[in-house]
Amino acid sequence: MLELRINGFGGQGSVTLAHLLAQAALENGEQGQALPFFGVERRGAPVRAAVRMSPTTIHAHSQCDLPDYVVVMSEKLTEAAVGEGITEFGTVIINAPQATAVAKHPTWHVDADTIAREAGLFSADGPFINIPLFGAVCRVLNIPHNIMEQTILNKWPGNSGARNLGAAGKAYQTVTQISV
Amino acid sequence: MKAAQVIMETGTKAAALAVKSARVDVVPGYPITPQTSIMEAIAAMVENGELNARFIPVEGEHSVLAAAVAASATGARVFTATSANGLLYMHEVLHMASGGRLPVVMCNVNRGIFAPWTLWADHQDSFAQRDTGWIQYHCSSNQEVFNTILQAFRVAEQINIPVMVNFDGFAISHCLMPLTIPPQEDIDRFLPPHEPEWRLDPAHPSSFSNVTMAAEYAPFRQMLSDDIMASIPLVKQAAQEYQDITGMWDGDTIDTYRLEDAEVVAFAVNSMAAELRLSVDILREQGVKAGLLRPRLYLPFPTEDIIDALPQNAQVMVLDRNYNFGHPGGILASELKSVLYGRRNDITVKNRVIGIGGIDLTRRFMADEIRAMMDE
Repeated sequence: MLELRINGFGGQGSVTLAHLLAQAALENGEQGQALPFFGVERRGAPVRAAVRMSPTTIHAHSQCDLPDYVVVMSEKLTEAAVGEGITEFGTVIINAPQATAVAKHPTWHVDADTIAREAGLFSADGPFINIPLFGAVCRVLNIPHNIMEQTILNKWPGNSGARNLGAAGKAYQTVTQISV
Repeated sequence: MKAAQVIMETGTKAAALAVKSARVDVVPGYPITPQTSIMEAIAAMVENGELNARFIPVEGEHSVLAAAVAASATGARVFTATSANGLLYMHEVLHMASGGRLPVVMCNVNRGIFAPWTLWADHQDSFAQRDTGWIQYHCSSNQEVFNTILQAFRVAEQINIPVMVNFDGFAISHCLMPLTIPPQEDIDRFLPPHEPEWRLDPAHPSSFSNVTMAAEYAPFRQMLSDDIMASIPLVKQAAQEYQDITGMWDGDTIDTYRLEDAEVVAFAVNSMAAELRLSVDILREQGVKAGLLRPRLYLPFPTEDIIDALPQNAQVMVLDRNYNFGHPGGILASELKSVLYGRRNDITVKNRVIGIGGIDLTRRFMADEIRAMMDE
């Protein structure tokens, strides 16, 4: 069973990212689970969501306290996110203009803000970074490109889906491993 | 034959889809977290014509259940849902539904009780309704929520007793998981239309729930008590026939995992019992012969099935997500001890209260708790 935790700020779309990843697992012929932590959310407050993928039935229903992967929606959260718990050699995926590798952990970097803005995916509140991050995480987890695309098209058929595809596809291509 | 459909849905949406599959006639509702999204989904399905039912928004939970009781007395198939203090506010009318022998099915999405306020799961709310005469299931997965609502309507309508289907807030209610929806014709075969023996009907006026003298009241209460006990074979039959038709199985009165040769048995309900399967695997890797017994039915308490299933000389570790105020520990432990007394004196029962107000219960934490209990 693969376990992943998303650490972000309220309003960055962590819940949708968790749902997309769980849906991609099902699309990929596995079982998927998205378990966001709901509380007294406020825009800008730290939020988290658990994601699990497994070839067999998932029985876990706790938040991922020791995940194999941590997705950091903003580099401001890197230290806090990793500090919440990760397996000994767990992988960190960071959204930042430029990322610094996390000591002892394989680290990947993607500039989701820029990719989202260039694709026109933003509102007055900021860029929709969960779409490029979905593409980037799929690449890191070796989820095939066509499964990533199909998951987006299932959720957003039509034009908005196509715009999302561009941003997710660019992140899938450009996410880079910066440490092993 | 049509194939079953697999989709990704949350626990609350799974409940709403089961209500649609059950072809429910009337749904009175009032919002309370974390149940609200069940009512939102049902209201939307009624609005867009997917579900041919009457949705009745009312001003509070006491009225929700009053409307459910009244609708059920006219012979309608009735569903509603609530959580925590909403369930407590219904308490008086819970007795009306069971005493009136009305087969309402209600989801309670388990949440800790005020005060102080909490949004997250524990089991104080449903266990506090033990003596209201409702049959109570407790579910450990999204799929089990869907399956159990259909089984609950069947059992309720066979024996004219209301059924509460409980599952954890957030850990199940807001958890997105794969959900298998059997073809509608299979569900219709499992759950035929509700044909009550009696109903309120303006064309044939009758009165309902009169004042009774003790000579009438006492036998009526005895009949309710007897019929609640008599629901156990119906619960088993419903689980078996549901499996025959859909291929899906969540256990009947109980669900077990690696129990046959277990020396240490975890005993718990709801989502923590699903996670406990992983704790059992951890303990087995550590050389502890661990197993799991999950009562799927809390009321009637599945005494005979528990007594038959527990291995000889087992230590049973009851993990209660509730308090039995006035006693040390929790309610499940108290129930278990009372049925084992004098019948299984080989069994040792140990108990801890954990996970109150949604404290996260990981497989590693619970495995450590069980190891610590072994040394007590």
